[in-house]
Amino acid sequence: MVKLRARCLLVGDAAVGKSALIHMFHSDGTLFQKNYSMTTGVELLLKCVNIPETNDSVELYIIDSAGKETLVEACEKMWGEPSLLCLVFDLTSEQSFANCSRWMERVRAHCQGLHVPGVLVGNKSDLSARREVQASVAQEWAQSQGLEYHETSAREMENCDAPLLSLARAFQSLYQERREIIQNLIPG
Amino acid sequence: MTESSLSALGAKVVVAASCDENHPPENIIDGNTKTFWMSTGMFPQEFIIRFVEPTKISAVTVDSYNVKHLKIEKNTSRNASQFEPVTEKEFEHTEGHLQSNAISLNGSNATHLRFIITTGYDHFVSVHRVNIQN
Ligand SMILES: Nc1nc2c(ncn2[C@@H]2O[C@H](COP(=O)(O)OP(=O)(O)O)[C@@H](O)[C@H]2O)c(=O)[nH]1
Ligand SMILES: [Mg+2]
Repeated sequence: MVKLRARCLLVGDAAVGKSALIHMFHSDGTLFQKNYSMTTGVELLLKCVNIPETNDSVELYIIDSAGKETLVEACEKMWGEPSLLCLVFDLTSEQSFANCSRWMERVRAHCQGLHVPGVLVGNKSDLSARREVQASVAQEWAQSQGLEYHETSAREMENCDAPLLSLARAFQSLYQERREIIQNLIPG
Repeated sequence: MTESSLSALGAKVVVAASCDENHPPENIIDGNTKTFWMSTGMFPQEFIIRFVEPTKISAVTVDSYNVKHLKIEKNTSRNASQFEPVTEKEFEHTEGHLQSNAISLNGSNATHLRFIITTGYDHFVSVHRVNIQN
């Protein structure tokens, strides 16, 4: 049994649904924030994810940053050294998808050259009539960035657990991989 | 000369920030570099070693992997609290073999030593052995 701990950055443009999505996960799907208030700074949420079919768990320290341009710099100071990345865009906004590469650059600058497992999340899948980003396009870009792609709807509670579960799994396998390397080290 | 491990001398690890059941903090003081304690994510990470009695320490040796920056604090109290800083050190990155560092403590007297790993070269670090020179 291992209890892992990871600092998970939650980023993406304003209003794509980051906070709604994370609150859904945080409360196991029982709550959806209906009153929209522009996130003003950084919110820290703690969520413990049990990895199915194992005794291992990952405590996620989720850092929800405001997507508003004017606040980005203040938020970045709170990022620290991330262990995991959750990058969110709005499926009904081509612009929010286009901006993902800028978010990636910003996050990479904080990673000290370390491999940081990440997911790309296309949110608001319930608004299918207004969809502007095709799954195949998002999937392809995600792959090019080494991210795993998920589509969710925080409103319909669709698939909301998948992104964080996959992050927790990725962190666990990174741990196992590193442990194996350490087991085979020779004395200095 | 055979060096006794700290645990053979009665020392204990009283606090450790992380725990993997298979790699418990006791592995730090068993004198064996094959066994190790491994951090389970995020920094800082710390562990505290308690000696049976106030002990004069001229230096500590640390065998580890992926540790970047280490701070050492001490106290002379019975409780693991109210520490004062002693020294800090930046470790060099090694690949494929352990880091092995000797850190001078200038004959400090201590009942507890607190090791704080503030940063690492990877998400996870390991400590294989800590020993002291009197
Ligand atoms: N239709 C729909 N609306 C959503 C969904 N997720 C969030 N919203 C709405 O999008 C707006 C912005 O959400 P919020 O979580 O504050 O975005 P953030 O700025 O990225 O944190 C709010 O009005 C939410 O109610 C979703 O899955 N579907
Ligand atoms: Mg928000």
